[in-house]
Amino acid sequence: MRIGTLKESYVADAALFDSVTQKAWLGVGAALLLLFPFVANDYWLYLACLVAINVASATGLNILTGYTGLVSLGQAAFMGLGAYTVAILEIHTGSPFAVNLLAGGGVAMLGGLIVGIPSLRVKGLYLAIATIAASFIAHFLFANLSFTGGTGGLSMPPASLFGLPLDTSFRLYWLILPVTIAMLWGAANLFRTRVGRAFIAIRDRDISAEVLGIPLLRYKLLSFGLSSFYAGVAGGLWAYFFRVVTPESFPLLMSIFFLAAIIVGGMGTILGGILGAVFMTMVPEVLKLVFDLLPGGTAMTVFLSPVRTVIFGLLIVGFLVFEPHGLAEVWRRIRRYFHLWPFRH
Amino acid sequence: MKKASPSLTRRSLVLATGAALAAPALVHAQAEDIVIGGSIPMTGVFAFAGVGINAGITDYVKMVNDAGGIKGRKIRYVPEDTAYKVDVSVAAFKKITSQNKVNLYYGDSTGFAKTINPELDRNANILMAGASFATELNDPKKYPNQFLVGPDYTEMFGILLRHIAKEKPGAKVAFVYSDSEFGRDPIDESEALAKKLGLSVAAKIMTPPGSVDVSTEVIKLRRAAPDYTIFHGYILAPIPEFIQQGKQQGMTSKWMGTFWTMDSSTVMKMGEAGDGFMGVMPFRYYYDTSAKAPMLDKIRAMRPEYQSTAYMQGFLTAMLFTEAAKRTLDAGKALNGANLKAALNSIKDFDTGGIIGVPVTISGNSIPVGRVYRADMKAQKMVPASDWIKLN
Repeated sequence: MRIGTLKESYVADAALFDSVTQKAWLGVGAALLLLFPFVANDYWLYLACLVAINVASATGLNILTGYTGLVSLGQAAFMGLGAYTVAILEIHTGSPFAVNLLAGGGVAMLGGLIVGIPSLRVKGLYLAIATIAASFIAHFLFANLSFTGGTGGLSMPPASLFGLPLDTSFRLYWLILPVTIAMLWGAANLFRTRVGRAFIAIRDRDISAEVLGIPLLRYKLLSFGLSSFYAGVAGGLWAYFFRVVTPESFPLLMSIFFLAAIIVGGMGTILGGILGAVFMTMVPEVLKLVFDLLPGGTAMTVFLSPVRTVIFGLLIVGFLVFEPHGLAEVWRRIRRYFHLWPFRH
Repeated sequence: MKKASPSLTRRSLVLATGAALAAPALVHAQAEDIVIGGSIPMTGVFAFAGVGINAGITDYVKMVNDAGGIKGRKIRYVPEDTAYKVDVSVAAFKKITSQNKVNLYYGDSTGFAKTINPELDRNANILMAGASFATELNDPKKYPNQFLVGPDYTEMFGILLRHIAKEKPGAKVAFVYSDSEFGRDPIDESEALAKKLGLSVAAKIMTPPGSVDVSTEVIKLRRAAPDYTIFHGYILAPIPEFIQQGKQQGMTSKWMGTFWTMDSSTVMKMGEAGDGFMGVMPFRYYYDTSAKAPMLDKIRAMRPEYQSTAYMQGFLTAMLFTEAAKRTLDAGKALNGANLKAALNSIKDFDTGGIIGVPVTISGNSIPVGRVYRADMKAQKMVPASDWIKLN
């Protein structure tokens, strides 16, 4: 049983990780992540990369929706902006992937700032509808501009590091995972700063926040910009991962996927974005593995596939009904139990 | 009880040990299965086709295995549902290829075919075909390890336009297509071909995919007064709406579609308005008994109920996969992407057992053959409206 954590300074009080146990588990987690590519096969590596990309994008949306209280259904469009920027730069300039990813994030950020303008006047569902416009406009631009390759999209060469092409899931893992971790680190630290706290104040009550001297437009736009930057970088990683970007790569449904991820994971927590993205990406795959164990072989695939989809849907509904604060809250409860163990209270 | 002599026991031991040592070697020597992986859309918007494709591949694989396989090697089909999503398809590919030594693969979409192409090139062990007929894939240089099981979309238009040029020289045609990669695919090249064939393109109308309210587009189409209207990039909607409103407004155009619109059940859903609807079909319909088709007879014996054109596509894909594998093994070569593709391209005047009505030759990445069929609503069937048309 953990009695308490002694904090002797303000720095210790504001630390991101405040206990030795937490740091030790983080170390174990990091070691596992480092070890993972060497033991996993191509399939699990692929999923790990996809989860990491989705975590990055979900974290971006969490900054906007979970922490600032602004609903957006444009996340996929911003990912598209990032992906196209990266693809175009990679094809035409061959610039280093770090530059391309930052440029992708920057372009998406600009898009986010423009789309965020209505956020001062409208919120909630109204803002959600306004951001849907971003999806339509982005799709139109991707499908009709000559440099985006029209409806056929763009096929791009792989990212490369010191001449080594990052063209396998194993190699891409070492690009995607560090970028995602850096983004998570940045987001976690953001909410220890004045800017992050201003976001939270706006979420909790925007009028009160304004009374407290927080300029709403500036901070709402900043939140949109940051969220879109995250989406842009995630889109860039997506482009490097799949190496084909088409207007149909980033449908509106993808934005709903990320919104669902942060709701299921738990809005307003970094862990929520991670768990939600993992849940939304992995559960359908895990269900596949479970169903594969059932007898019947390929003949049953045709019958079981729709059942799997229904179960996935029911799981989401179940979580929302029984744990509206998401998986992060479940995780918090588990931690609390072990803090008190062997006592119940 | 008589005790076994020591020499006999020793001999038995030696034999048993020998057998035990030889067993792994024998197992190893036994030829591996030939594996067909599949990203199959069994749920989602394309499930109507995926279920048929899956059944077609399964049936042909069973037929070959029942007949002893290929040179004693069994075929194993490993499908995964993709819900017609590219990322899920790629996950399925990774899963199947990491758990099996895959030789042949069925992909579910153009997006997947394009996305997985670098991986196919890198892997170099797999020959892939699939549900896409995208013109872009019909390029052996860019897509060396893939092929299309039928004509590409531009070739489908080519078949229809040739039929039109023959039936009504100098006719006016209109293209109605969806605003998607699928829809836009053949339009520009087909416009040029139409002009080359002496036809005039009276209108090109693009609509959102699956749109319902098309009244303004119908007015535009009526003004153009085409003799033939070709729909592309849709499955069903908004084709019946176009035809119904067009007929109400006095249009005399003949209406046409391409492969994914042309399943019998899809066309029959058009109701009375769809009577006479024509389209290009690379395969013979399940119920088409106009000529001898032993393979169709076998399919009918296996499955007495109607099988979709998607089934035929899946069945023929498995047939061509198998033929490529057989030719590769006959030549004593390894089953890798390059050898399988070379074997596939060695196919000349191949008899598909009547699934395609003429012998086929696959010189590049497609099979540029098709036939125009017409809907007979009274008989609730698609009936041949042309002979088999071969391009090139």
